[in-house]
Amino acid sequence: MMNLAAAGLIIGLLGFQGGAMTEEQLIFQALPERIPGWAASGEDMVYDRDTLYDYMDGGAEVYLAFDFQRVYVRKYINSQGEEISLDIFDMGTSTEAYGIFSCDREDETAGIGQESEYGYGLLRFRQGRYFVSVMASDESAEIEKAVLSLGRAALPALGEDGPAPDLLTRLPAENLRRDRISYFHADVNLNNRYFIASENLLRLDRRTECLFAEYLSGKTDPVNLLMIKYSSPNDARDAHSSFIAGYLPEAEEGDPVRMEDGTWSLVRRREALIVVILDAPDEASALGLFAGIRFDPPR
Amino acid sequence: MKPAFTRRDFIKGSACLALGTAAGLPARAEPLSRVVLIRNPEAVTAGSRFDAGIIQNMIDEAVSRLLDAPDPAAAFGKLVRPGEVVGVKSNVWSYLPTPPEVEQAIRRRLMDAGIKEEDIGFDDHGVKTNPLFIRATSLINARPIRTHYLAGMSGCIKNYIMFTPSQSALHPDSCADLGSTFNLPQVKGKTRLNVLCCLTPQFHGRGPHHFSRRYVWNYNGILVSRDPVAVDTIGLELIKAKRRQVLGKGRELPPVPKHIRLADSRHGIGVGDLRRIELIKLGWDENSLI
Repeated sequence: MMNLAAAGLIIGLLGFQGGAMTEEQLIFQALPERIPGWAASGEDMVYDRDTLYDYMDGGAEVYLAFDFQRVYVRKYINSQGEEISLDIFDMGTSTEAYGIFSCDREDETAGIGQESEYGYGLLRFRQGRYFVSVMASDESAEIEKAVLSLGRAALPALGEDGPAPDLLTRLPAENLRRDRISYFHADVNLNNRYFIASENLLRLDRRTECLFAEYLSGKTDPVNLLMIKYSSPNDARDAHSSFIAGYLPEAEEGDPVRMEDGTWSLVRRREALIVVILDAPDEASALGLFAGIRFDPPR
Repeated sequence: MKPAFTRRDFIKGSACLALGTAAGLPARAEPLSRVVLIRNPEAVTAGSRFDAGIIQNMIDEAVSRLLDAPDPAAAFGKLVRPGEVVGVKSNVWSYLPTPPEVEQAIRRRLMDAGIKEEDIGFDDHGVKTNPLFIRATSLINARPIRTHYLAGMSGCIKNYIMFTPSQSALHPDSCADLGSTFNLPQVKGKTRLNVLCCLTPQFHGRGPHHFSRRYVWNYNGILVSRDPVAVDTIGLELIKAKRRQVLGKGRELPPVPKHIRLADSRHGIGVGDLRRIELIKLGWDENSLI
């Protein structure tokens, strides 16, 4: 249950301090109190890195693995008691907002913000350093209209566009599914995207930059590429050794390895970068995808 | 560093389960834990309501078979004795709570086994301080199955997190040590039955507190076992099968469900090895997935 004493700030009690409006005031003022069929319900809430557990007990780690700053929360209900939850996450930078947005993509674009998706009552989008989730648990034409309307209403308060991570430019472009790229730092996020091992074999932490990308293979299942940029070549070397020992001992020489399900995997390190290719249908596909990686950043 | 298990282990394990053999693995040992799956296509009715009568019959038949008892009263009589105080740890998550019909079925059979109604309690968040749970001599663990963004799966093992002094203390490392809750003084040795409701399982989520009916399906099943690890191990196979069917082979696994295996290997509270679990299937078998 929510512990009000510990949980965030109750915006209604803050009031205006005079002078410039705070970020909270700017954001909540931009949001409508009502839209057709729906009205704001309960107190607006803000949670920061210390209080996020009070809002999403059991999942805060997923956001804390990024540079999450705070989340602004407003709930809406309709006459049937159905609820829509509007969450605006300040992720610190636009690359971090890209990251959290990219980790659970599944749906078609909704045309809101820099990148977005909508499906079955869930709108997700990023704008500048903000990631926004507007969620209902069910789907109907009325819910879709309300969810998209709330997303559009929030957009003006979220500022200018911001760049995506530079690391994206290293990925081979051919057959890349751009809507299935995930950017993150920690193993908690890798595990949600693609479980590899129960231990942190790749030594991922807040400093590592990771991309998980899918490539069309002509088969039912995609070929997956995991790229990790470490703080130093030494860190990458340690992680490479750990991964070889714990997951792919056959790959010590850097050659592709045939896995138990008949697919091929490959792991190689170059300077501070590790690349793992997974689920390739054959050896040549694994090597071909690896050959397309841009190890030298574009100028 | 040696990993507890990897994706490769899961691929090997799933292949063996699908074949119905332990091909490539050591010879199957005698089962140590029994799990019963019962399904009825009419359990979940139109409008996602539950049929109380059918659910009562499902609980009755499953628990009787679990304990090789001639009837439900005799089966529950093997679990509890008259004069006991029984706490039923349910789950109140608003989107997918323990169905009241399941709670009622358990209450009825506990009373048939000689437990006074006032000595039966149901609680979730309040179990640490609920006076009935503090004096409980037996516990029954009943909750729905769903994926969890951090722990991989919320099943019978995770259901006891409310008995801990600090829930967040169990979050690190993908909730690896959830099994430790069964060794808490308030709990240890008291769990008589685990009921994992698979009537409308949730097989996927898009963020830590996301719920959508898009990722729920009417499986119309209930799993029961004396062993919380065995019942979750079978439940995980169900979730994996549904994810493979809907999301594709590459996304078969939810986030690291390591706590289930560690509940066996580290905390010793049950059996997490599929080769040591006897799965008995009763009732409707269409699209059973496991």
